[in-house]
Amino acid sequence: MVIELLTRRYPGMRAWLMQRLTGLVMAIYSVMLIARVFDLKPQDYQSWLMFFEPWWMKVASLLFWISLTIHAWLGIRDVLKDYVPNPQVRMMMLNVVVALLWVYLAWATWLFCTL
Amino acid sequence: MKKMKFSVYRFNPDVDKKPYMQDYDVVIEDSDQMLLDALIRIKDLDETLSLRKSCREGVCGSDSMNINGKNGLACITKLSELVEPVVLRPMPGLPVIRDLVVDMTQFFENYNSVKPYLVNNDPPPATERLQSPEDRAKLDGLYECILCGACTTSCPSFWWNPDKFVGPAGLLQAYRFMSDSRDQALDDRLENLEAPDRLYRCHNIMNCVDVCPKKLNPSLAIAKIKDLKFEQAREHKAAKKTTKKSIEIKAL
Repeated sequence: MVIELLTRRYPGMRAWLMQRLTGLVMAIYSVMLIARVFDLKPQDYQSWLMFFEPWWMKVASLLFWISLTIHAWLGIRDVLKDYVPNPQVRMMMLNVVVALLWVYLAWATWLFCTL
Repeated sequence: MKKMKFSVYRFNPDVDKKPYMQDYDVVIEDSDQMLLDALIRIKDLDETLSLRKSCREGVCGSDSMNINGKNGLACITKLSELVEPVVLRPMPGLPVIRDLVVDMTQFFENYNSVKPYLVNNDPPPATERLQSPEDRAKLDGLYECILCGACTTSCPSFWWNPDKFVGPAGLLQAYRFMSDSRDQALDDRLENLEAPDRLYRCHNIMNCVDVCPKKLNPSLAIAKIKDLKFEQAREHKAAKKTTKKSIEIKAL
């Protein structure tokens, strides 16, 4: 049913629900991350590398970053729609945001893949 | 008898280049209990002041205005509870026609866009379309809206997108008809609100709940519409496989 609501048939609900689902993913990851920090207590660069080394940690971190990208896009899009009335300026700012989010996502993916 | 200080927003587009605040010291009689009584005293002092008023008992919604920074009805706002100087402005987010009178065209366009009337294609019965007491109870907390506009004009989502976001009053009415057992247009009503900005621009700021003079809860009605969306999606999915089942609506 949730999958149904994420289809093009429900454009409003899709964005609204996606923002909440990605928020949930980020919340769960954050709790897990904090618990792992308390557990392993990484002190230096090597221990941080080991912190992110397990494959499941990389997958979870990448999932978090994808969620962050979608969440940020939906949120910033709403803010720009509210506060930038000029359509040309708004479109330009939206394009900058999209480009930045893609760059950050590609960067994060590269980081986790090369760890 | 005592004196009270008021600071009132004044703007006459025929004369003034820009709005200004005008101060009044008003003698309040013991019989003057509500803000509207004081406004009528001010009107006696200065007949150029424009404001709307009608029933003077919180039923018509005409004298909705911004009172010390919060929207409310002048006729049911107690003078004894107001901090001086009492600052009166027109409701925010709508064009000012003059002084405290705003142009509510956009508000009513949004209200009309949700089809605030029963849609029932069955032949009309001899008397009226009956409801069970349980079905009637589902309308409590919804039908009491007097369309004063206090909620919608205190909503930042409406300020930024008045032509797109329906606003709390319109959405409360949308849910009022969605939850009416006599209505047959639930699917159409939900489709009507599906565009990204019509319903989903509500960010649960809840100014609407804070200011409603009838103590209604548009925010809860908006959440209930989203619940119905989930039910609709479940039905659409089930309809692909089997037969249709009706959506059950619970009272607020």
